[in-house]
Amino acid sequence: MHVGFRASMTLGTLFWLISLIILSGIWRGFLPITSGAWWPYAILILTSVALQEGTRLVFWRLYKKLEEMLDSFADRISKPRLSLTDKMLISLAGGLGHGVAHAVFFCLSLLTPAFGRATFYVERCSKMPFFLASALIALGFLVIHTFSMIIAFNAYDERKKSDQIFVPIVHLTAAVMTLANLAPGGCLIGTPLLLVMAALTLLYCWRVVCRRLTEHHHRQLSN
Amino acid sequence: MAAGSVAPRLAAVVCVALAVLAPAASGDGATLESVPDLVKAMYLNIESFPCVRLLNLSGEIGCSNPGSEKIIAPIVRFRNNSDQLVQPSTVLLPLDQMPDFFLRVSNDPELHQKVAGVLVESNGVNSLQEFSPDRKFPQDAFAPYSNLSHDWNPAGSGIMWNRYDFPVFLLSEESTQTLRKVSEKNEKSGNGYKANVGEFDLVMQTTKTHTHDSASCLKEQSCLPLGGHSVWASLPPIKNESTEHQKPIILAITSQDSASFFRDRSLGADSSISGLIALLTAVDALSHLHDLSNLKKQLMFAVFNGEAWGYLGSRKFLQELDEGADSVNGISSLMIDQVLEIGSVGKALIEEYPSFYAHAEGNSSASKKILDALQSASKSLGSDNVKVKEAASSNPGVPPSSLMSFIRKNTSTSGVVLEDFDSHFSNRFYHSYLDSPANINSSSIAAAAALVARSLYILASADSPVNLMTLNNIRVNVSLVEEIIGCLLTCNPGLSCGLVKSFISPSNSCPSHYVGVFLDSPSGTQFPSYADDTSRFVWNFLADRTSTLAGNKSSCTGKCSDEGEVCVGAEVEGGGRCVVSTTRYVPAYSTRLKFEDNVWHVLPANSSDPMSAADPVWTESYWNTIGLRVYVVQDTTYDWLVLVAGFSITAASYCAVHVGGSYLSKITKRD
Repeated sequence: MHVGFRASMTLGTLFWLISLIILSGIWRGFLPITSGAWWPYAILILTSVALQEGTRLVFWRLYKKLEEMLDSFADRISKPRLSLTDKMLISLAGGLGHGVAHAVFFCLSLLTPAFGRATFYVERCSKMPFFLASALIALGFLVIHTFSMIIAFNAYDERKKSDQIFVPIVHLTAAVMTLANLAPGGCLIGTPLLLVMAALTLLYCWRVVCRRLTEHHHRQLSN
Repeated sequence: MAAGSVAPRLAAVVCVALAVLAPAASGDGATLESVPDLVKAMYLNIESFPCVRLLNLSGEIGCSNPGSEKIIAPIVRFRNNSDQLVQPSTVLLPLDQMPDFFLRVSNDPELHQKVAGVLVESNGVNSLQEFSPDRKFPQDAFAPYSNLSHDWNPAGSGIMWNRYDFPVFLLSEESTQTLRKVSEKNEKSGNGYKANVGEFDLVMQTTKTHTHDSASCLKEQSCLPLGGHSVWASLPPIKNESTEHQKPIILAITSQDSASFFRDRSLGADSSISGLIALLTAVDALSHLHDLSNLKKQLMFAVFNGEAWGYLGSRKFLQELDEGADSVNGISSLMIDQVLEIGSVGKALIEEYPSFYAHAEGNSSASKKILDALQSASKSLGSDNVKVKEAASSNPGVPPSSLMSFIRKNTSTSGVVLEDFDSHFSNRFYHSYLDSPANINSSSIAAAAALVARSLYILASADSPVNLMTLNNIRVNVSLVEEIIGCLLTCNPGLSCGLVKSFISPSNSCPSHYVGVFLDSPSGTQFPSYADDTSRFVWNFLADRTSTLAGNKSSCTGKCSDEGEVCVGAEVEGGGRCVVSTTRYVPAYSTRLKFEDNVWHVLPANSSDPMSAADPVWTESYWNTIGLRVYVVQDTTYDWLVLVAGFSITAASYCAVHVGGSYLSKITKRD
C-alpha cells in the first residue's frame, strides 16, 4: 500500500497548492492590504479557510472513488481489501501533504535570509525573532493539518456531525489566532496559543483513532 | 465527549480577545511584500564616506580594516571624551569630539584595540567653531625658510596624518539620524540577547599584501601614486613656438585641489577653490581686452593640481620646464619674470571692505614691483574699496603655497602670494570637509579677481605708462563668480550646471577636489583619458577665454587640423569647435617617480632638487569594495538555546511516534 500513501501525500500537497492558487487569483485585486485595520485580514482568512475546507471535501470524495477502485481491484485478484489502519494511514499521508505544502509555501523562501548573519525583529513583535515566529507558526499548522485530515476522513466516514464541525472550526480558530500577531507584542500570545491548538488537535485525533480502532476491533471479534 | 464543544467555546474566547486587542493594531508604515524587501529591511545600507589608506616612503596614514575580513562590532555612542569602551565596538562619534577622540586613540594603544570602527556624525556643525585635521604648519618640510614653529593653521590637530588600524566613515545627514536611533536601541536593550552591529568593509590591498610603504606597494602594484593634471594657458595665445623673441612672462598661479580626512568629502572652498574662481574670473575679465598683444610682457595662467600632497603640480611643472618637455612647448623657465599666486581669497570681508594681504619672500626689489602693482590696482578700484596690505614682517616668510616650489627652485624668484589672512589662516576649517560654500563669500572672491586682473594688466605694461582708460574698463563679472561657486562647490546644480556642461560631460554631479590617483600615461599627452572633471573644465574654460577665433569653423572631437589650435568642448554633444589658443595639460605627479616597464619606480632624492628630499611620495592603496551596513545580530547563547529546543522537539516527536505506534498495534492485536 505504499503506492497509496505516496499518491495520497502527493495529491494532498497538490490540492492544497491548487486551493492557494485559486485563492490568490480571487484576492489578487485586493492585495496588498494597505489599511492597518484587522478586518480585511479577517475576511481574507474566512474566505481562505472556507475554500480550503471545501477542497478537503473534494479530496475526500476523490479518495472514496479511489478506495472503491482499489477494493474492487483487490476483490478481482483475491487480495484483501483496504483495512481500517490502511485507510487511516492514507488520510494521515494526505494531511501530511497539506501540512508540508503549508510549511513550504510560507517558510521555504525564508530559509536563505535565515541563514545570513543578521536576524530580524518586526516592529510589532520586538521580543521574538521573525524567523523563530515563522518557524513556530509553520510547526503549529503542520501538526494541525496533518491530524485534522484523519479526524475529517473519519468524521465523513462515520457521518459524525460533531467531528465534521471540529476540523473547520479548529482550522478557522488557528487562522484567526494569527491575527493576534498584528497587535504590538501580540506574537507572544498568538504563537503559544497556536501551539496549544496544535496540541489540542493532536489529542483529539488520538482519542478519535483509539476509539475507532477499539470499536472496529470489538466488532471484528464479535463477528 | 465534550471535546467537540470545547473548540467552539475556545474560538469564541479568542474572537472576543481579538476584538479587544486588535483595534490597538495601528497602521504600519512600511510593508514587506517579498523576500528581497525583507532582506533590504534586515541589512541597512548606510550612506557614508570613507577614510582610506594612504602610504608614503616611511609608512602609512589613514584608515583601513586591520585584515582581509569585514569588521562587525556593536554600535556605541560616545557622549563625552571620558567615555570608556568595554569590548571591541563601533564608536558613533559626534563631530565636535573628533579631534580629541583621534588624538586619544593615537596615544592610548588599549583604546585603539577596543575601537573596531568609527562612524562620525554629520549634524550639529553649526556649533563647531573650528575644525582642521591638518597640521599647524601644513607641509612644513617644503618651506624655503628655517623657522618652522610658526602656526599658520592654529586650528590644526594633525589627526589626518596618523595611522589608524580601524575603518572610519563619515555619515551623511540622514544616516546620522538612522545611526542615532540604532545606538539608542542598543542602549535600551542593554546586554540583552540581541545587538545592533555595524559591518565595515574597508579592506585595503596594501594590508592584504603586507606592503606598508610607497616603494614596496608600488613594486607589488597594490597602490597607485597620487596625481592629476595641471593646466596652463597664455593670453594672448603664443604665436611663435620658438623661445626666441619671446616676451618675458607674468605668471598667475593657483591650485585646484584640497585634502580632507575623508577622501570623497574634500571641497576646499576657501583653500583654495576660492583662488581658482578668482583666477578664472580674472581671465574672463582680461579676455575682453584687445590690446594685450601690444603690452611689453606676456600673461600666463597656471592651475596646479596635487598641491595639497607635496606640491606635485608646481614641482612637476618646474621639472618639465627644465627638461623642455612637450607640455610646456613655447616657454622656458628663464622667461618667467614675475609670479603672482592667488591663495585663499574667500574670507577677506572681515570689516566692511575686502582686505587682502600680499606675502612676499624677502625684500627683493622685484617683489616690490608686484606689491606696487597691487597697490595701484587697489587704488584704481577706489569705489569698491579693496585694500591690499603687506603681510606682517613677523611672519617667517610666505604661507604654505605653490610659490614655495618656485622659491626653492630659484631663490631669486620674484613672487607674491595674495591671501585673505595675515599671520594665521582665517579659514578655521582648513582641509576639512566643512570648508564648504558657507565658509566663503562671493564678494570677497570677486574683489580678489578684480584686484588680480588689474594688477596683471599693470605688471604686463611694465615700464611703459599704463593705459588708464583700459585699466578702469577691466571689470569683473560678479554673477560668473556665483555661477562657478554653484558649479564647483555644491551638488545642486554641481557639475551639471550650464557653464560646465557647455564644455565637458561630467562624470559626476557632485564635485570633489581630492587629487586622486594618476591613471594616465605619465609621458604627458594633450588628450588625457583620465583627467578629472575639474581639470577638464578649467582647461576648456581657459582655452575658451584665451582664444582668438580660428579661421576654419569646423566641428571637432579631438585634434584640430592646425598647429596652435585646440578643440574646445570636444565632449559635448555635437562636438566642439577649433580655436587658436595656447592651453596645455601638464601631468602632476611626484618628481621622484618614474614609470618604466608598466611599473612605477621611486627614484632616489636628487641633490640638485632640494624639495625632492622632503617629498613623501604619497600613494593610495587599491581596494575591492567599500561598504557599510548595519543590522541586528542575535546573541550566540540564544541561538544555541533555540537550536537545542528544536532538536528536543524532533527527538520528542520521534519517541511519541514510536510509543503511539506500539500502543495502537497493541490495541488492534489484542485478543
